[in-house]
Amino acid sequence: MGALSDMNILVVDDFSTMRRIIKGLLLDLGYGNITEADDGLTALPMLKAGNFDFLITDWNMPGMPGVELLRQVRADERLSKLPVLMLTAEAKREQIVEAAQAGVSGYVIKPFTAAVLKEKIEKIFANRTPTAA
Amino acid sequence: MNAVRQRAVSNAAWVEALRHALAHNDDQAFMTALDGLNSLQDSSVMSGVRQVASDLQAALEQFQSDSRLVDLAERQVPDARHRLAHVLKLTDDAAHRTMDLVEQSCPLIDALTREAERLSTTGVDSSLHRDNLTADMARFLGTALVNTRAVRGKLTDVLLAQGYQDLSGQIIRGVMKLVDELELALNTLVRIGNLQVLPARQEPGTSPQGHGPVVPGVAHGHTVSGQQDVDAMLSGLGM
Repeated sequence: MGALSDMNILVVDDFSTMRRIIKGLLLDLGYGNITEADDGLTALPMLKAGNFDFLITDWNMPGMPGVELLRQVRADERLSKLPVLMLTAEAKREQIVEAAQAGVSGYVIKPFTAAVLKEKIEKIFANRTPTAA
Repeated sequence: MNAVRQRAVSNAAWVEALRHALAHNDDQAFMTALDGLNSLQDSSVMSGVRQVASDLQAALEQFQSDSRLVDLAERQVPDARHRLAHVLKLTDDAAHRTMDLVEQSCPLIDALTREAERLSTTGVDSSLHRDNLTADMARFLGTALVNTRAVRGKLTDVLLAQGYQDLSGQIIRGVMKLVDELELALNTLVRIGNLQVLPARQEPGTSPQGHGPVVPGVAHGHTVSGQQDVDAMLSGLGM
């Protein structure tokens, strides 16, 4: 995996304001290539057709909720190892368990701070062995 | 025998008694026959009313079990009220937080501006104050580094503060769903009760409490379209 600035990140949230906040924070952290999607339904084909290294997704979306998007990603042969961070207001214990069982790589609750986002992303990529570019 | 025929047969005896009483100028017999005839009509009206009431009851019970009306009234509506109160709080907090960050950032920038202005005029006479100028510049650069970093951090915090829109938006969507359910329930009630839509009571003149902000798509009557409109109106009124 190359430099931070080379990483292709997909940000999925049905609220454009939230996508903008996450993108702004990622740019500040040095990540350069950020794409947006407004629902699990629009995100899935983008993931399948594209070359993304990281997925950040909300849970509560009208078409396909984030946890279902996660399951679809894990079920796809090419995407199954994709790091997925859930960034959501959903705070129930059962949901966190459900996300963990579905194979989420990290879970951040809204409202969040820039520091927490940075920490969780670093944690996800610290555990990963570099893959061939 | 059908219902109309049946009624005719039941009434026939009393009608015959009336006719007989009239023919014989028997006032007493006439009143008795008239009372008898009337009580037959009353009871048929009564059974009609009982039938309507029973149908209405059945329809309401069906509606109640279909529409979760009790759950809506006792749980979901109070819940929605709390959620909207929370939205008010979220937006209020976010607005104040953003303004706080702006108020904190302005003095930091103003200090840099003042110092830069001072140095740029001092620089013109720099032949006299060269040593001081170097020291001043060093100090200015130090302050610039500190203040710009601080303001940059505050700008990130302003960005984060806009997260209220996502949270309150999710809450509002939930309440909109509830309003949809309520609309459905009320329309069904109107239909069951065969209620007529009454014309809305017009408030005479202006409301002391005001009508709230203009919302695109919602009828507000005659409103101005901006400040220029207000100014034009006022000057037309002689102000």
